[in-house]
Amino acid sequence: MDTAKKTLYHLGVFIVLLFTVLISIFPIVWVVVSSFKTNAQILSSPFSLPTAFSFKAYQAVFKQTDFLLYTVNSLVVSVVSTAISIIIYAMAAYVIAKYDFKGKDLVYSLFVITLLVPAQCKAQPIFSLIIHFNLYDTKTALVLVYLAAGMAMSLFILKNTFMSIPKDFSEAAWMEGSGFIRTFLWINLPMAKSGLATAGILMFLGNWNEYFFAMLLTTSPVNRTLPVALASFNETYSYNYTNMFAALTMAILPGILIYSFAQDQVTNSLVASGIKG
Amino acid sequence: MKPLTARQKTLLWIWAFLLPCILVLLLFYLVPILTLVYTSFTKWDGANPPVFTGLTNYVNLFGANDFKAAFVNLLLWSAIAGTLHVFFGTLIALILFKEPHGWKFVETVFMIPNVISMAAWAMIYRFVFNGSYGLLNGIIRTFVPGFAVNWLFESPYAFWAVTLTWLFYAVVVTLLVLGDLKAIPSDLHEAARIDGAGEFYITMKINLPLCRNSIGTSVICAISSRISMYETIALTTRGGPGNDTMNIPLILVNAINNSKYGYANAAGMMMLLLGIVLLVVVNKAFRMNESIY
Repeated sequence: MDTAKKTLYHLGVFIVLLFTVLISIFPIVWVVVSSFKTNAQILSSPFSLPTAFSFKAYQAVFKQTDFLLYTVNSLVVSVVSTAISIIIYAMAAYVIAKYDFKGKDLVYSLFVITLLVPAQCKAQPIFSLIIHFNLYDTKTALVLVYLAAGMAMSLFILKNTFMSIPKDFSEAAWMEGSGFIRTFLWINLPMAKSGLATAGILMFLGNWNEYFFAMLLTTSPVNRTLPVALASFNETYSYNYTNMFAALTMAILPGILIYSFAQDQVTNSLVASGIKG
Repeated sequence: MKPLTARQKTLLWIWAFLLPCILVLLLFYLVPILTLVYTSFTKWDGANPPVFTGLTNYVNLFGANDFKAAFVNLLLWSAIAGTLHVFFGTLIALILFKEPHGWKFVETVFMIPNVISMAAWAMIYRFVFNGSYGLLNGIIRTFVPGFAVNWLFESPYAFWAVTLTWLFYAVVVTLLVLGDLKAIPSDLHEAARIDGAGEFYITMKINLPLCRNSIGTSVICAISSRISMYETIALTTRGGPGNDTMNIPLILVNAINNSKYGYANAAGMMMLLLGIVLLVVVNKAFRMNESIY
């Protein structure tokens, strides 16, 4: 390439990448910055910087709404559901990866084909099922529904993890008289840490961010999760933009924090979620 | 009873380990899908048992204005997702593959919109597109003073405003294509360079054809996200103005709220079937079942 062409190429690449960075973080930065401005400042100019740095809006959100309760709800539902699903899927993935038995292919393909089912299309049947179990408007309902959400991807990730653990370790354990459960719990599970972390983070983020079923299956504020609460703030704060921006900032922060601490796992899980197709 | 052999014991453990997963499968996939299929042919309000009505729900659905609008929207959105969206993600992948200065930073930052809740994302875009103090109008006003369009609530802007909430956020496409690019044996590139091929030629004739699988997968992911797109509509335009931004999940939720369960499930069936059609068509088009190397 001659110099002019090369410069043009680098300029083009720079512009495309700059655009990508801007659209990815500018809206978020704008929300965070706006949460420190006064209502009047927000209305008069969207780009002005805050004149004073105060957390008043954040305090107000905690005082005026049950923000803490919603956060705790989200946390409880996400953690409990993720913990149970990790156990369930680790068990299933383990036997699928390590043993040969009749019906294995059928069972595994049934598990994985669930990926093709858009969650929303089951909305009404699950709504009825939850009412049938007398669980409408409970956190238990959300825990149960979220169990199913990460099935295909978690099994896919965990099966690959268990398959990559050499059989020698299990065989050595059997020689020493270790039983089925012990071999699973003490030999294989500790060696599957990275896969468990990837699947766990994937499911936790999914549960933490879930809106559709939380909206459909709960009504009372006691059981409200953060994403649903956020939508309801729209009415509470229809004229108090500062507080709304503060609430938004607090709601998106945990996801970004988790990502910054577990970047590789989040990226891997996202790739895995694509490969499945 | 005879004592179990070691093999039988193991088999028992195997199925014991599978049992919880099978229960979840039955309860949250098989039962709901069977209910979905069956009750989509019935009139059902939840209080009384479903009454078989044949294709009535489907006939009503296809005749409804909101469904017609949703279907047209979905076609247009799918076309945009399958072309522009996938193109943008692939372009970023091709750029990052060359590892230009700061590529790691771009990849990291590009991910961020995907780790926060869609509900929060919808709220953020509500403010970005706000008519009076929104970010977009703020930018435009520096060039055109006094500019005022309420993007989410005026026709025909609302459709494009909703489109912009996802159009460029193609990090999944980028990561998938990047994975395929990194898997290309480097001697293939070297051989091409020795033969005198330019970078553009290598990209078009070697890299892109070898990324057939990930691009196909990306098209499926991108379009199926359009079929189930809910939050970014429900929390912004609610399908309006008119039916400008209507989508099938909104129709489904409306029907549930109105206790028209059979009708809701006919809408659910359409989502399920469209997803399957999409998978089959894209698989064929990208010859995704044939191995590449």
